[in-house]
Amino acid sequence: MALPIAVVEELRRIVGSESVIDSANDLRIFERDASIEGALPDAVVLPTTTEQVAEVIKVAAKHHIPVVPRGAGTGLSGGAVTIRGGIALQVTRMRRILEIDPVAQTAMVEPGVVNQELSLVASSLGLFYAPDPSSQKACTIGGNAAENSGGPHCLYYGVTTNHVLGMEVVLADGSVHWVSGDTPDRVGLDLCGVLVGSEGTMCAITKIKVRLLRTPPSVATLLAAFPTIETASHAVSAVIAAGIVPAALEMMDRVTVNAVEAHYHAGYPTDAGAVLLAEVDGIPESTRELMAAVREVLAANQGYAMREAQTPAERDLLWQGRKGAIGALGRIRPNYYLHDGVVPRSRLPQVLSAVGEIGEHYKLPVANVFHAGDGNLHPNIMFDLREPGIMHQVEGAGEEMLRAVVELGGALSGEHGIGLEKSAFMPWIFSPEDLEAMERVKRVFDVDGILNPGKIFPDPSRKQIQLAGRTGLAIEAKWW
Amino acid sequence: MVKKPHELGGFAVSSRGPRAPVVEKPKTAEELARVLHQAAASGSAVVPVGGGRSSRMGGTPLRCDVELHTTHLDRVLEHSQADMVVSVEAGITLEALQEELGKAGQFLPLDPFNSPGHTIGGLLATGWSGPLRQRFGSARDYLIGIRVAMPDGHLASAGGRVVKNVSGYDLMKLHYGAMGSLGVIVAASFKVFPRPLHDVTLAISTGSMGEAWTAAEQALSMPLAPTALELFSDGHLLVRFGGSPDAVKRMVAELGWKQADASAWAEHSRTGLESWARIAVPRHALREILGTLPEKARWWASPGIGIAHWDFDNSSDAVVGVRHAAEKAHGTLVLMSAPTEVSKKIGAWGTPPETIGVMRRLKKAFDPEGTLNPGRFVV
Repeated sequence: MALPIAVVEELRRIVGSESVIDSANDLRIFERDASIEGALPDAVVLPTTTEQVAEVIKVAAKHHIPVVPRGAGTGLSGGAVTIRGGIALQVTRMRRILEIDPVAQTAMVEPGVVNQELSLVASSLGLFYAPDPSSQKACTIGGNAAENSGGPHCLYYGVTTNHVLGMEVVLADGSVHWVSGDTPDRVGLDLCGVLVGSEGTMCAITKIKVRLLRTPPSVATLLAAFPTIETASHAVSAVIAAGIVPAALEMMDRVTVNAVEAHYHAGYPTDAGAVLLAEVDGIPESTRELMAAVREVLAANQGYAMREAQTPAERDLLWQGRKGAIGALGRIRPNYYLHDGVVPRSRLPQVLSAVGEIGEHYKLPVANVFHAGDGNLHPNIMFDLREPGIMHQVEGAGEEMLRAVVELGGALSGEHGIGLEKSAFMPWIFSPEDLEAMERVKRVFDVDGILNPGKIFPDPSRKQIQLAGRTGLAIEAKWW
Repeated sequence: MVKKPHELGGFAVSSRGPRAPVVEKPKTAEELARVLHQAAASGSAVVPVGGGRSSRMGGTPLRCDVELHTTHLDRVLEHSQADMVVSVEAGITLEALQEELGKAGQFLPLDPFNSPGHTIGGLLATGWSGPLRQRFGSARDYLIGIRVAMPDGHLASAGGRVVKNVSGYDLMKLHYGAMGSLGVIVAASFKVFPRPLHDVTLAISTGSMGEAWTAAEQALSMPLAPTALELFSDGHLLVRFGGSPDAVKRMVAELGWKQADASAWAEHSRTGLESWARIAVPRHALREILGTLPEKARWWASPGIGIAHWDFDNSSDAVVGVRHAAEKAHGTLVLMSAPTEVSKKIGAWGTPPETIGVMRRLKKAFDPEGTLNPGRFVV
């Protein structure tokens, strides 16, 4: 449904006519993110300043038009999909790094700054930005803050919310505010903490102040093979139980390893049931000691063919394989569907065997490549969209996998967000009272529901969950 | 070195209100929620109480009809050692929780002042932290789940018991540091940490504050960052390094301070005063702000964090001046404990934030009748 001409005119006045897109062909580019479901926006607006964002939102508020903030569109949960039409607020032209303060170790960036670019620029000062989603070459800091994104190195360093010091935000009435900043313990309620990870449903983010960390002088990266995914899972738990928290601890199963090896030739052992990529960093003394300890634990848990990167280039290659794994899986099937449920780490063997069974039941190839140290799964269901009726199977399998996660005491998403695709599952982990408390917060920030409507909360007008009831586990009693 | 342990335990908030409140000590979260709901429905004012260690923080409650104690909600609900996650009821003391975690070689890196006796609920509600924040962040960073009783009688949870979770809004952040203004925390889950393989405490006494700040910067810029660093107004410094033995040993050798007993930290955490304020500023501004304190003022600071605590000796005029300087540096000065006449005169919190309007709307959404802690917080 096209926006009224008068509204489009207003938008053009605010951002300039070249920065409003409303032709049917061009809108297609903004139809989806990296998840499955898409929906066309009625218009795309590309602001360059906070003032423009505020004016656009005021217009939307006046006419009750949905506004969906959007960064690079790399999200995996439909967070940036304009499911109810309206305006896609594309912030990628707000891409300046406004300030890097090497003394305070902070950076102020606009929301469209690409994650990796910030670390690259900061590296000349011996600093880096810790959250490192696998899409970091493309994804934006604004999108990361909206989704509270993670990444392999969040095991040690924490996720986005632990690194955002403050934000400039535009609320649903078009008002502009700073929330938090570089002072610890501010007075009042922690609005910044609630807005990070709110998936564009409570504000548009126009500036972000983030913490930078000193680049560790020494890094050690180890690849280890395991006979099975279960033995690798036990090894992960054993590392953590030994009191070692590596910077990253990633797992790839055989399917993934073979695809990655064919693509990157990173020297991954293709005969292994699973491989672990473990990284420790710090000063040379600590990386040496910690890596020796990690090797010992892995060896005691059937790890073999251990290989430590000897040069930065080798390390990069190992990581390229991991971060590019999902792309490499395109060799097997052209499309993928990916959930990112989290289980308590000790439940990894159980949940992975459930994932395997579900894949077999639906006759769908599944590849596992994930943040094992955090218990954060990424079962990658591969398929060919051209196959008739396949989506039904794929979604069914995805649902059952998430159900298995929840039944083992886990959560629906570790870093991708609830967005569109997991909103229907929210009642699995939250009671009506829990959800109602969240909705109260939503109404405070956006009483008319114009900001990214149709996300996070279950939408009764959408399809209802139908479980085939294959997984026999009962949901564990709530822990309180 | 500032050392003036002052027992504030058992301090009754009620003594600041006009009449004796009803004391309720529910045994379950459900019962607590019922009591809260009944109070709200009858227009009573409720002051939640944990260990009473931070009961002087904030403004004097305008009314207190019901003191709602979490004392009997003191169970460890689940400690999954392999997952390094713990869920507890809010009334458990920090010490009891540490004892449980210690059995598995784990700990919660929280070391608040005016210890012992803090409850987990109280610490979350006040947002107090200690020196270990230098390395581990505050409880805000490792709080992964929360359950809260609300004035409408509902119990609402957010988060979960996994270490990484973006399912739904992060209401942990909303209740953390909210002074019980939106609900009463009844349970919480945390990501916990393994005890460092090696843990060393070093100390040095310097001849001047200039030397002391230089020493602090030197310690902070060591290749292995300290897990804690405290600077005292008498020029004394305490630093702690944790990690792999060889790395820690190298820091000890390079820094060249004398080794001290780790009990210095426990002793430090017992510091609690009758009149003390917390100064929080961007870290690089801390030295300058502390320079505005009266001569011979007693304070201790975490230079790597940007926080200092000041024994202000009831001199409210001086407090106003320092608060002004702190706020000018985009920081805050908050009264941790003060005689009622002082907190009434200068206010516990200082200038309200620009977003106070949004905060008031949140308060209204969760506590429409103003049942919880009226007058104590900024909303």
